Amino acid sequence: MATPETKKPLPMGVGSIGAGWLAFMGIAVVGIIFGLVGVLVEQQQGMVSTGMRNLGTMQGATWGVYISLVVYFVGVSFAGITVAALIRLFNLDYLKGVARMAEVMTVVALVLGAAAIIVDLGQPLRGIVNLFRYARPQSPFFGTFALVISGYLYASLVYLYVTSRPDAAVLTEYRSKLRGFFRFWAAGYVDTPDQRERDRRTTFWLALAILPLLVVAHSSLGFVFGLQVGRPGWFGTLQAPAFVVLAGVSGIGHLLVMAAIIRKVLNAEERVGKRAFAWLGRFMMVLLFVYLYFIVVEILTTMYQPSIAEQELSEALLTGRYAWLFWGSSAALVIPLIGLGWMAVTRTWRVSWLVVAGIVVNVGALGKRLLIVVPSQTDGQLLPYGTGTYFPTWVELSVAVGLFSLGAALVAIFMKVFPIIELEESPEREEVSV
Amino acid sequence: MTRRDIVTISMIAVGVVLMVVSYFFWAAPWCANAVECSNPRLEWSPAIFVMGVILAFSSAVYYEVAKDKEE
Repeated sequence: MATPETKKPLPMGVGSIGAGWLAFMGIAVVGIIFGLVGVLVEQQQGMVSTGMRNLGTMQGATWGVYISLVVYFVGVSFAGITVAALIRLFNLDYLKGVARMAEVMTVVALVLGAAAIIVDLGQPLRGIVNLFRYARPQSPFFGTFALVISGYLYASLVYLYVTSRPDAAVLTEYRSKLRGFFRFWAAGYVDTPDQRERDRRTTFWLALAILPLLVVAHSSLGFVFGLQVGRPGWFGTLQAPAFVVLAGVSGIGHLLVMAAIIRKVLNAEERVGKRAFAWLGRFMMVLLFVYLYFIVVEILTTMYQPSIAEQELSEALLTGRYAWLFWGSSAALVIPLIGLGWMAVTRTWRVSWLVVAGIVVNVGALGKRLLIVVPSQTDGQLLPYGTGTYFPTWVELSVAVGLFSLGAALVAIFMKVFPIIELEESPEREEVSV
Repeated sequence: MTRRDIVTISMIAVGVVLMVVSYFFWAAPWCANAVECSNPRLEWSPAIFVMGVILAFSSAVYYEVAKDKEE
């Protein structure tokens, strides 16, 4: 723990801006500007600048890359807060090094998800106001915006704030330009046995409240698709649980990559040890297995005795024009599962392999999100319309690049204003917690 | 029971009441009629629901930050 008025630099690279960080931010800013150009073009020219068109009469898809990204980002947020809550609930000390990055990942991913929804609206302001004014609670959209974007984001921010106050109090003892900010964040935190007990109680109840909230929130996002009877491929009971499970897969994959990069950049190999990676790898392996089981069950059910529309959709997915994406995404999930299984059997959890698995499953998850959103709109029409098409324009792709760049920039900025890895507890604090 | 406990529990209770009332009584009713069930009984009821969620979770911040009298 720092002594009063310590002159040492802030821990975990906070406040120190190097050439590498500036270069990273430079690339991210270019990406953000590219995305903003896309948004401006879309606002100026309207939704016609995107590849999205009306269903049926215009033979297009009204949901495309943006909605796929909403589902993807909200999915990424799921694993972050789940892992963070499990760490606090079950006191998994060896995972504490990834707890805060998981919380930050959740908040950033939810911000990106909200931004992706806003871009998808032709009239963003009108859309936002009307949701707060008229939204119907029966609609899964209500659950998505009220629980995911509002409640879940706010709950995650509260969780992040509460769990980081002790570190903010420690940082006030360093002489730095950020001292006022840390004082504001710490809000009078004094490390006493009473306060520690209060922290424990608050994080425990918050974690207990957030876990069911996030399952409901992600299920409601699945219901946006799963309750639509008129769309072959969407209507089904597996949509909600499959959303939750794939959310876990992509989020843990993200967390693995993020943890590996951050521990390398901050030389924090001891704080984020191999045991933490092994735990995340095992968790991702189990979720992958469950998700692939869902896929197999869904395909077999659809193929057993399908309606004409379902049959058309299945053909488009399995052997038709979406087959490359379907089999490619499936391979991007199966191959990492085999790799993870091998690592589990041989008990050799290599960080580099886990990072590769994390990247590959995210590519697969993005593909799966596109497959959930697009083909059911273009193929298997129930009304007498022809087969539709959808291909994203540069505007949508630039917005996607902008959103990923924004996410990377937000995490990088957070790392410079607050420790993204929890500070180690002093011996006297550990005694109190025992 | 300290003032901190009382205020925290009150915030959670008010938040939950706001969520329940806005969802079941102020928002559009649960029924099959497309016209009657489209409009909320009270405009901005979804916003009130969100306020309820925010108030309930804000109780955690109050519980953490507030100081008891003896402190």
